[in-house]
Amino acid sequence: MRRGSFWIASGVVLSSLLTGCSGESEGDEVVLRISNWEEYIDLGDWDEEELIELEDGTEIIGENSLIEDFEEWYYETYGVKVRVEYSTFGTNEELYNQITIGDTYDLVCPSEYMIMKMLNEGMLLEFSEDFKDVENEENYYVRGLSPYIAQRFNDINIDGKALRDYAAGYMWGTLGIVYNPEEISDEEASSWKLLLNTSYRKRMTIKDSVRDAYFAAIAIHYYDQITDEQFLALPDYKEQLSAMLNRTDVDTVAGVEEILSDIKDNMYAFETDSGKADMVTGKVIANQQWSGDAVYTMDQADEDGVELCYAMPEEGSNLWFDGWVMLKKGIEEDPRKQQAAEAFANFCARPDNAIRNMYYIGYTSVISGGDDDRIFQYVDWSYSAEEDEEDVVDYEIGYFFTPDEEEYSEYTITCSEDQTRRQLHAQYPLYEEVEKSVIMYFFPAQENERINRMWTNVRCFDLLEFLKIK
Amino acid sequence: MKTSNFERKALAIPYALFMVFFVIFPLLVILYYGFTDGEGHVSLENFLNFFRSAKTVGTLIYSLVIAVMVTAICLLIAYPVAYILAKGEYARKHAFLMVFVLPMWINFTLRITAMKEILTVLEGNLAYHPFMNTIICMVYDFLPFMIMPLFNSLTKLDNSMLEASADLGANKWQTIFKVVIPLTIPGIVSGITMVFLPAMTNYVVLDMVYNSTYIMGSLIGSYFNAYDWNNGSLISAILLMFIGLFTIITNHLIAGEEGGRRR
Repeated sequence: MRRGSFWIASGVVLSSLLTGCSGESEGDEVVLRISNWEEYIDLGDWDEEELIELEDGTEIIGENSLIEDFEEWYYETYGVKVRVEYSTFGTNEELYNQITIGDTYDLVCPSEYMIMKMLNEGMLLEFSEDFKDVENEENYYVRGLSPYIAQRFNDINIDGKALRDYAAGYMWGTLGIVYNPEEISDEEASSWKLLLNTSYRKRMTIKDSVRDAYFAAIAIHYYDQITDEQFLALPDYKEQLSAMLNRTDVDTVAGVEEILSDIKDNMYAFETDSGKADMVTGKVIANQQWSGDAVYTMDQADEDGVELCYAMPEEGSNLWFDGWVMLKKGIEEDPRKQQAAEAFANFCARPDNAIRNMYYIGYTSVISGGDDDRIFQYVDWSYSAEEDEEDVVDYEIGYFFTPDEEEYSEYTITCSEDQTRRQLHAQYPLYEEVEKSVIMYFFPAQENERINRMWTNVRCFDLLEFLKIK
Repeated sequence: MKTSNFERKALAIPYALFMVFFVIFPLLVILYYGFTDGEGHVSLENFLNFFRSAKTVGTLIYSLVIAVMVTAICLLIAYPVAYILAKGEYARKHAFLMVFVLPMWINFTLRITAMKEILTVLEGNLAYHPFMNTIICMVYDFLPFMIMPLFNSLTKLDNSMLEASADLGANKWQTIFKVVIPLTIPGIVSGITMVFLPAMTNYVVLDMVYNSTYIMGSLIGSYFNAYDWNNGSLISAILLMFIGLFTIITNHLIAGEEGGRRR
């Protein structure tokens, strides 16, 4: 894995800005305005030794940025010139605020809850039938989307609109804990309660984000219920778990506030960006993290000779994904624009491009490839153990690649034993674990206000308590 | 004559436009959002709620305490330094000044990162003293902004004033408190304004030294993150009020000082 340097990223943004200013849009040229997360696409310029050679002989290397490749591919395929104006955002809220202020984009890549919010507010345009046509061999997205992810998407309906009709998935992952196995046992790391463990006081961090903190705290709040044998055995266990971890009622929020206050006392900090580096230097020994960043942290630590692991707590993890959505305000019923936007989402889903992105940014694509098994070959290429390696185990991730349970075992990676707790585990958790992970819904206005008030309460200086004690 | 007059006025147009677009218009927008509710009705509800909640008032007080402490410490350190730099008799004066001002040229996140590492070596775990670390890093960050204006007004201070004071029988301390400090009040005031206001809102420093308690700046950010522009703007407006109050008080102080001298 590697990360594009900030300078390359900002260079691309800058150059696209410059070109955006210079050229008047020509009649036959389509301008596509895309906004994506920072460092969330292959920007090319790989070294030669970074060439990925798959088993079937496919060679993959990122020479140019995927954006340039798209422009070229689009012209070759459709005979229409498209110019991408690519920009980036830092948080979902930032993107949302930009759009409400009046910035126009055609295609953006927010996270699941923001997609739901936008869908709820009627901002999104439905993908066309052509995009969803499974018969067309060039429709990489619908043909290549992982059956498991597709099934999870199917569960999401907002106001009677199915999310899968409005969004094309991009990357997915889970929320878990990166920990240092020399300090913390696997067992301790397998529960969100670790965050309250006072023997590691002031040596752990949690994300400075309402939703992520809320999720960890609500799992602790309902710990007894959701780890109860009877609850686990319920026939509709998944729905019940999802409902419980998505609760936002007054009592739950009050309970979460108490837990978060305790967590705050026990934490090194609520971190915005320092968590990854602090794990590597050893300032902190456990860190709440998204799986993709966890992979990056573990890679960095490996380079420094520190071994870190990733755990998905047993109570349940938060399954998240980012996806491409088209904005009504940007596309404005321009069929040429819509076609280009859909083509971009589709182009990102072409297996070789998905591999390039995964390699470059360290996150996991929602694409499993369908008939094309290059994605699995890539995972195998990345993680399978060397021939002379001892302590190898079989790690089955078939659920991601095939809908047919009987074929699951065909997608097994023979990897070194520690990978079952490390990068491979973070990128492709086991079926049992991912089944325990819950998609967290957006908070509607009233609930959002309640939760934000709770969050400010946790974070603000408590005058009354200060006066009482001192 | 008339034409030249007209031209001179025309020169001010760009500045006036600048003021309107970048100062007055944004201020009006902030006030509009701050004193309306979500539907655009004028409302004092947010304003009153701010002062009703112990948590938000606590944040205001916490920020004020940080800002006052940082400003006071900066002033205590900067004044002697600026005095020595301006009035001391030694070679390579400007090289010394450089040493103090040089940090201004380095991006502050870089400086704080360095300071953070030093503190980690000294303290072990930064998380046990978040408040103290915040003060240390902010003082370190803002010190040059205090030294510069003090240095400028101290260099302008005529040495003959000091001599006259000595001739009239004042000892060294009396000279400093009765002559030097009163004459450099404008420098002190601009130093304080340069430090006090940023210290109330610069939450990046708090983030960097792992202080997870909100100050006014982070509170504004949290409201905008929750799409609550009204409360976010209101808090900006409250800060603005404090700035206004602060400026009025200091202006009075200067005016009083100058009036006193004339008498």
